[in-house]
Amino acid sequence: MTELVTDPLLRRALLEVVILGLACGPLGVWVLHERRAFAAESLSHAMLPGLVVASLAGAPLLLGAVGGIVLAAVLVAVAARDARVGGDTAVAVVVTALFGLGVVLALRPDVPARLAEILFGDPLGATAGDIAVAALLCGAVLVALALGGRSLRLAAFDPQAAPSLGTKPGRVGIALLVVLAITIAAAAQGLGSLLLVALLLAPAAAAIRASDRLGTQLRLAAALGAGCAVVGLEVSRSLDVAAGPAIALAACVAYVVVALVRPGERGPGLRRAPIDGLTGSR
Amino acid sequence: MLEAFDLPFMQRALVAVLLLSVAGGLLGAWVVLRRLAFFSHAVGTATFPGLVVAAPWGIAAPLAALGSALLFTAGLTRLIRDPRLGPDGATGLLVVAALALGALLASDVYPAGTGVDQLLFGTLLGLDDADLWLAAAVAAGALVLTLALGRTWLATGFEPQTARTLGVSRARGDWALLAGLAVAVVAMLPAVGALLAATLLVVPAATVRLVARSVPQLLAGSVLLGATEGVVALWFAYELDLPPGPVLALLSGVIFGVVALGQAAAARRPVPVP
Amino acid sequence: MSEVLIEAVGLSTGYAPGEPALRGVTFAANAGQIVAVLGPNGGGKTTLMRALLGELPPFEGRVDVHGEIAYVPQTEQARLDFPVSALDVALMGAYRRTPWWKRLGRAEHDRALQALDRVGLRERAKDRFGTLSGGQRQRVLIARALVQDAPILLLDEPFSGVDRASEATILGLLGQLRAQGHALLICTHDIEQGRGFDRVLGVHGEQTFFGPGAALDAAALERTYGSEIVTLGEGAAIAVQCHHHDHEHDQHG
Repeated sequence: MTELVTDPLLRRALLEVVILGLACGPLGVWVLHERRAFAAESLSHAMLPGLVVASLAGAPLLLGAVGGIVLAAVLVAVAARDARVGGDTAVAVVVTALFGLGVVLALRPDVPARLAEILFGDPLGATAGDIAVAALLCGAVLVALALGGRSLRLAAFDPQAAPSLGTKPGRVGIALLVVLAITIAAAAQGLGSLLLVALLLAPAAAAIRASDRLGTQLRLAAALGAGCAVVGLEVSRSLDVAAGPAIALAACVAYVVVALVRPGERGPGLRRAPIDGLTGSR
Repeated sequence: MLEAFDLPFMQRALVAVLLLSVAGGLLGAWVVLRRLAFFSHAVGTATFPGLVVAAPWGIAAPLAALGSALLFTAGLTRLIRDPRLGPDGATGLLVVAALALGALLASDVYPAGTGVDQLLFGTLLGLDDADLWLAAAVAAGALVLTLALGRTWLATGFEPQTARTLGVSRARGDWALLAGLAVAVVAMLPAVGALLAATLLVVPAATVRLVARSVPQLLAGSVLLGATEGVVALWFAYELDLPPGPVLALLSGVIFGVVALGQAAAARRPVPVP
Repeated sequence: MSEVLIEAVGLSTGYAPGEPALRGVTFAANAGQIVAVLGPNGGGKTTLMRALLGELPPFEGRVDVHGEIAYVPQTEQARLDFPVSALDVALMGAYRRTPWWKRLGRAEHDRALQALDRVGLRERAKDRFGTLSGGQRQRVLIARALVQDAPILLLDEPFSGVDRASEATILGLLGQLRAQGHALLICTHDIEQGRGFDRVLGVHGEQTFFGPGAALDAAALERTYGSEIVTLGEGAAIAVQCHHHDHEHDQHG
């Protein structure tokens, strides 16, 4: 266990994942309450055109990634305004189109291989620079969530009444997507987008299952995010398996444990049809 | 100008695109109407662990992928019974679990196994006979399902409460749609990969949805638009020497954008929100 | 005309075993009768409907249904963005008797148009459902039930959010159906209107009253609505309602 602290490689990985886990947990709680899990899962693929343009122009890749993904987030929000399209279709359309654009722009069939690297990036490769970016990002996300907490609360729980109370749900939705996008862009290259999505969704899902109080959910998600990082890395070290998937699985196991300890309140005991439960994203 | 389609591999790609756009358009119409885009994407991604173990366990890749996809679907319909998690949260959580499992298997248990690249990207230009037959079977299956269950899907999608008394079975219809989608997505993997399966399944239907005035129009329009986009994209890809999948994704995304903007300009009236 | 078409005996039902949301319901609706179901929001009106439809199992007692049921849900349950016309919706009433390999024929189209005519919407047949007003949408859903031509009709708040003209049309139509020998169950918020129907069934977690409207006295009203009742002199009373949506156990939540 001590090697996580003594081994410099592991120590840097631990630091990076714990810091990002702290930020991703609470952000994930909002992502789930706002029904944006599809965007969280898929937006990382929309970075590609930004990355390609940045590398062609010789600009920093991070800048390109942020630019590309924020554009994607705004497009998703705009397209989703049409009730006939809806949030999840908007994500599918925008993400596939931008991903296609990225490959076409690169004019090179080998670019997808680089994307696969991003998808399954390795936290063990974390550099001091990565950690600095992660810390900055973590601070910015937590500040943004704290400042926007009231608006998010209103927009998520009573979108009809929100405007009369001084909050425009549409703008809050875009703001959340943009924060999510920046987080993905800044963290995906260090963590790999799989691990990033896991840190966003799994601790938040466990926290929402564990508590009915929003404040507790937010704090618990942060704690679980950081905790899963430690457990996952330790498992990865002692069993000698890949670190990213190990942490991701640890986060999923956290949900299972919470679900076992606190069996869900039964949903309506109607004989439900499968799709009733599957739809409902904004 | 059309000599591109004289080449055998281009002809195979053409047949594949046309067959897949039948399945994609018919099922995609219901994906868009019933808001199943995330599920469609997720079920394709969730084939990853299946593809990783296919070769080491000696199972045909499409079968392994299908098994994975169906397991995912069954697990998801249980997980969504937790009302707090939300439907998309449950989908996201299970996708993460499937991907993590697949990545772990791929990197530590069966490092020689292929999977990632094939899963994510696929290629329209390297399809074998089995892929084509699978695409044909899926196109036929989608047609039969639509004829047999179109009314069920329409009645339950419009308003689920009354479906039972109208003599249609909600649960049976929903299960058939989910399973049909899982099979269709698996058939699309070799051609376009998991990331771009939505290109065939969601984007043409979403585009036609903006202009269609009835469900039959939506079904026919989605098939026609998907097929047209597929053929045009293949030709572009050949002429410009680009991979066809991404070209198709870009092309259909741009067409969606043009139609959406045209609509927004034509009707300043806001669409009623349900 | 006195044949029982739908009845419940000692019915107890709900959403989780051991926690009945509605207890002790015993009533019968005969052919040619309208039964008004009265009760406060969350009192179990929608729960009763679901139990009669067979969507909720009886924990105790039983439900006897003699014939097909047509159900008219609250309009807000329907997706307004769906690309279906009023005619498409009315045609859904013919699904049960049309095997899946057969198209819906001329005869069914004529029946659907006729039903739309009866609810006064013949000329709106081609209009998209979502573009109609609340009252018109309610009438389209009733037209669908007419096409279904079932002996038993359950209507969940058919008058909530409905304009006066639509309300009059619907009331007239329900009277015709009653005269033709259908049995109708109607959930309503309007006590005076409910009193005017053949029978009144009061529910508030359990059955509080069943009998002719004239027998619905102040004590029964108090049992049904608790203290939410306001007396307006001379025996007239209204139930105080915050708003007219019945969101109990909304499964789309």
